[in-house]
Amino acid sequence: MSDVTNEPMAEPMGGGPAESIGAGTASYVYLAARDIPDDAVAGITGLESQPVRLVRNAGLTAVVSTVDLAEFGEDGLRRNLEDLAWLEHVARSHNGVVHHFGRQTAVAPWRLATIMLDDERVAGLLADWEHQLKASLDRVAGCSEWSVKMITELSADQRTETDQPTSGTAYLQRRRAEYSRQNSAQEQAAAAADRVHATLSGLTAASRRLPPQDRRLTGHRGEMMLNGAYLVPDDRSEEFSALVGELGADLPESRLELGGPWPPYSFATLETGA
Amino acid sequence: MTESQYGGGMMPAGRQARPPAYDRPQPDSLADLLERVLDKGVVLAGDIRVNLLDIELLTIKIRLLLVSVDKAVEMGIDWWRHDPSLSSKAAEEHDALQQENARLRERLDALEGGPSGRQDRLEPASSDQDAERVDDETPAAETERAQR
Repeated sequence: MSDVTNEPMAEPMGGGPAESIGAGTASYVYLAARDIPDDAVAGITGLESQPVRLVRNAGLTAVVSTVDLAEFGEDGLRRNLEDLAWLEHVARSHNGVVHHFGRQTAVAPWRLATIMLDDERVAGLLADWEHQLKASLDRVAGCSEWSVKMITELSADQRTETDQPTSGTAYLQRRRAEYSRQNSAQEQAAAAADRVHATLSGLTAASRRLPPQDRRLTGHRGEMMLNGAYLVPDDRSEEFSALVGELGADLPESRLELGGPWPPYSFATLETGA
Repeated sequence: MTESQYGGGMMPAGRQARPPAYDRPQPDSLADLLERVLDKGVVLAGDIRVNLLDIELLTIKIRLLLVSVDKAVEMGIDWWRHDPSLSSKAAEEHDALQQENARLRERLDALEGGPSGRQDRLEPASSDQDAERVDDETPAAETERAQR
C-alpha cells in the first residue's frame, strides 16, 4: 500500500538510541494535504524561521520543518508549554504555515507540536492514517472555517433604580426581582443563541458549538452565549456573513461577532485516542 | 478546483449595508487560535510524546486565565484599553478624580489663603481682597454640598 513501511522504525531512523531524544533535530508537522507542488514551499519558513519542506507518501503530502529537540524535545516541550509567550509564538507560526497552504488547497491542520524524529517517521504516519486523513480532507475541501460568537449584556440596563431601599425587606425584594429578571434574560439569550446556531448551521457544511471562552482571557464584556464554529463552502461565504449580519440586527440585547475565515481546524479532525 | 480564501481573519467579501449590530471581525484572537491549535485538528501521537495531561492542564490554565493582566497585555490581549465604553468609563473616573482634586485644592487654598495665613506672609492689600473673596466662596460651596 505504501512504499514506506512502518515496522522497522521502532528504532528511530538516523536518530540513534532512544536517549538521544532531547538532543539534535526532529520534524515538526504542520498539516497534511493531498498534494502540494514542490515549488509551493519555496521561500516559506515556519518555526524558528526554518524553511518548510514536503514529505509525500500514500497519496498525501505533509508540510514539515526542522526543529531543535532542545526546545521541542520532551523535556523542552513540557517546560515551554507552560510559557504562554512561547506558546503564543509557536501557535502563531504554526497557524501562519497552515493558513498559507490552506489558501491553496484543502488542508488538515495537525495539532500544535506534533513532532516526529525524522521525515521517514512522518511518511509512516501518512501511510498509517491514509484513509482517515483523506476522509478528513474530503470533508473540508472547498470550505473554510468561520466563527460566530454571540455576546449578551445581561445586566446592562438593570441599574435604573436610583432610590435607595428604605428597609431590608425592600432591599431583598429588589434583589429578588433583579435575580428573576436576569434569569429570564439569560433563558431568552440562551434560546436566541440556539436559534442563531440552528439558522447558521442550515447554511453550512458542518457546525460545532465550542465551549464559551472565559472573559478573563478574551476581555469581552457580557456573557458569551454562543461560540460556534462553522464550515462554510467558500462560494457561500458572502451569503453566510450577510446572514450573520441579519441575525445580529434582530438581537437588540446581543451582538454577533464574526471571525474567519480560517483553515478548517475544528472540522478536519482526526483523533486516535492513542 | 475551488481555492480556499482565508483572509487572515479579515473582513468577508460581502460588506454592503452592514447592520449596526454586526461587529467587525477582529484579527485572530489568541483565545480563538489556542482553542483550535491545541484542541482540534489532526491529533496523532508523535515521536515526541508530551503527556497530554500537560497540554490539557495548560488549556485549562488558559481558560481559567491563571495569568496576570500584565501577561495578558504581553500576549496582546489588551483590547479593553481601546474599548470605547470602557475607556469612556475610565474617562468618567478620571473626571471625577479631577473634580475631587479641584475641590481639595480649593479648600487648601481657602485654608492657606485665609486672613491669618495671608497676614503671616505680609501680602499687599489687593491680595487680601482676593483672599476674602475665596474665603466668602468656600462656606457657600460647603453649604451647597450639604444640601445635596
